[in-house]
Amino acid sequence: MTGGLAIEAKGLFKAFDGKTAVDGVDLAVPEGSIYGILGPNGAGKTTILRMLLGIIDPDSGERSLLGHARPLEVASQVGYLPEERGLYPAMTAREAVAFMGALRGLPLPVGRLRAEAMLSANGLADYVDKPIRSLSKGMAQTVQLFGTIVHRPKLIVLDEPFSGLDAINQGRLEHLIRDEAAGGATIIFSTHVIAHAERLCERIAIIAQGKVRFEGRVAEARDRLRPQVRLRTRLAEGGWRGALPAAAHHEDGLWSFELPRAGIEPLLKALIDGGAGIEELSIERPGLHDAFVAIAGEQAARELAESAAGEEGA
Amino acid sequence: MMGFFQSAYVIARRDFIATVWSRTFLFFLIGPLLIIGFSLAFGMMTSRMARADVHATVAVVATDADFAALLAARERLNPAFGQRALPDLVHERPQADEARQARILLASPGKRIIAVLGGGLDRPVLTGADDRDLSKRLAIILDEARQHRGLADAGRPLAPVRLRLVDVERSEGALAVGRSMTARFGQLILFMLTVLLAGMLLSNLLEEKSNKIIEVLAAALPIDAIFLGKLVSMLAISLVGIAVWVSGALVALALWPDPGGAGLPEPAVGWPLFILLVLIYYSANYLLLGAFFLGIGSQANSVREVQTLSMPVTVGQMLIFLFASFAVGAFNSPIGLLAAVFPFSSPLTMVARAAQTPELWPHALALAWQALWVWLTVWLGARLFRRNVLKSGGRSRGMLKRRKPASPS
Repeated sequence: MTGGLAIEAKGLFKAFDGKTAVDGVDLAVPEGSIYGILGPNGAGKTTILRMLLGIIDPDSGERSLLGHARPLEVASQVGYLPEERGLYPAMTAREAVAFMGALRGLPLPVGRLRAEAMLSANGLADYVDKPIRSLSKGMAQTVQLFGTIVHRPKLIVLDEPFSGLDAINQGRLEHLIRDEAAGGATIIFSTHVIAHAERLCERIAIIAQGKVRFEGRVAEARDRLRPQVRLRTRLAEGGWRGALPAAAHHEDGLWSFELPRAGIEPLLKALIDGGAGIEELSIERPGLHDAFVAIAGEQAARELAESAAGEEGA
Repeated sequence: MMGFFQSAYVIARRDFIATVWSRTFLFFLIGPLLIIGFSLAFGMMTSRMARADVHATVAVVATDADFAALLAARERLNPAFGQRALPDLVHERPQADEARQARILLASPGKRIIAVLGGGLDRPVLTGADDRDLSKRLAIILDEARQHRGLADAGRPLAPVRLRLVDVERSEGALAVGRSMTARFGQLILFMLTVLLAGMLLSNLLEEKSNKIIEVLAAALPIDAIFLGKLVSMLAISLVGIAVWVSGALVALALWPDPGGAGLPEPAVGWPLFILLVLIYYSANYLLLGAFFLGIGSQANSVREVQTLSMPVTVGQMLIFLFASFAVGAFNSPIGLLAAVFPFSSPLTMVARAAQTPELWPHALALAWQALWVWLTVWLGARLFRRNVLKSGGRSRGMLKRRKPASPS
């Protein structure tokens, strides 16, 4: 693996029953970063994560996890929270966390101690020795998350980690992700909620129909679009109209157009000289949503919105 | 990275503790006691019902002398045939129209007569519904009565013979017959235990899948190690069960030392080695079948699918048991060799062989062969699992469901 990359994938390809699920995916996740895989349901996010972790093998392509081509060789340094959460209902919260640590090579006594500390520090002290079946869904998800990180992994892989969490627990999870990253861990997570990726990630991969449509810094994705100028004038007509870009469109008294390459100053001067009577002028940097639409297309954006709406409705 | 066996140990330890400390394990332990209890109760009930049942009664239209001869013959034959094997006989003095008398007797509801025997000892006539078995048994009684009367008429009555028994320490013929019993008993025990315990594996894997924890395991450990851990833990659990049952049986024997059975003859390899081989072959059989069940179980997604899949497997087990039972006493015949080589019948066949032949080298060979097949089956099951499960995010499809294009997420 090249220096500084926690995950590197080149040309990952996977088909199920003759249908392509993941098509030539390249990824490069720098060590210590928070990396998001953004895409609608069915885009191939889970399949990519499973291939990266070695749960399933790609039909072709290469992957490298913490410098190892065989992911299980570094299993003790990886934590994984699958999309479908699962715990043994009869196990106590402490044992569940310790067992998940033991799967990654952490001695059970150490795991039990850490489990108690983690649960207690997060307001679950009364539930340490309670069976999982007696916990609420949110508590059980928290237990599984602690089980994912109890062995202090260098790489944390989270598949739709915010799915099914209420707003408070989503906030806690964001906090925890930032804490782990601050502690030096690399975090990669999949999501179909743009806001999470926008708030947390330094780098993202936008996936649609099994293909990577964009891979890079969030700012780079946004920079694919020019900033948007919004202008409201007192006069509807005048010579100043000639200064507006040809693609500018007018709706409800508001002009919208991309910031000209020459910058705002020449435009501003033309508007003032032309007596447009500027009432309102703003320059807005495009959000990740706009970038997603521009990169992945309207169809993928609709699917992404449906995925998010579907989860809210669930 | 944890070693392969350490990974298997993590799984085995969890499964073992979770199962042995569960309430269901207690039910599992007392399961055979319940089966024995039900069998005893059912046996007693059917025996009582049989005693209370109407016994075949034949009306004998005969002179007093003929009837006495028939009754005496029946009494002489009873010890050999059993008290209820021969029909009861009731005496009816002959009337002028014997055919009419027979019809009236058969039509009398209170007398419950199934047939009427007339015509005397020399020209007997049986009137009744067609019953070949009854006529054969009556013919034996008639023959015995006639021969006895003939010898008495000739002045040569014979007293019943008294057979003097001389015990010998060893009779090869008797030993062979007895060891054949031991062989079949060993096969039956092996088969019953395996059938009883191997099903646990399926439900265990199903629990894993329904808990959706299998992906957590698969991301951390090699699938082969997960499968091996599950197999070993279930084997250990079954051995705990067997230890409890055997201890229970020993306690029962101590409390009730003479159950009335004559006991089984010593197997050809001796009791200690035979018991050891039974345990080893049980383990091999369990691991083989368990690995097969795991492979199948990993394809199923619901209890219904498991039940649908386990039924043909159980029928297959019974066929294999029958196949192995053909090999008893014919180990060097083509069927015997095939049964020893076919991995799923090999443990059953070899247990029977241990009862009947003293050579040990075939056991070493068979165990190595079975170990190879255990490994192959685990490997194949793991491959199947990886191929057919976890195809898509949040959804996995059962092998019995109609195939649709995969849906990744």
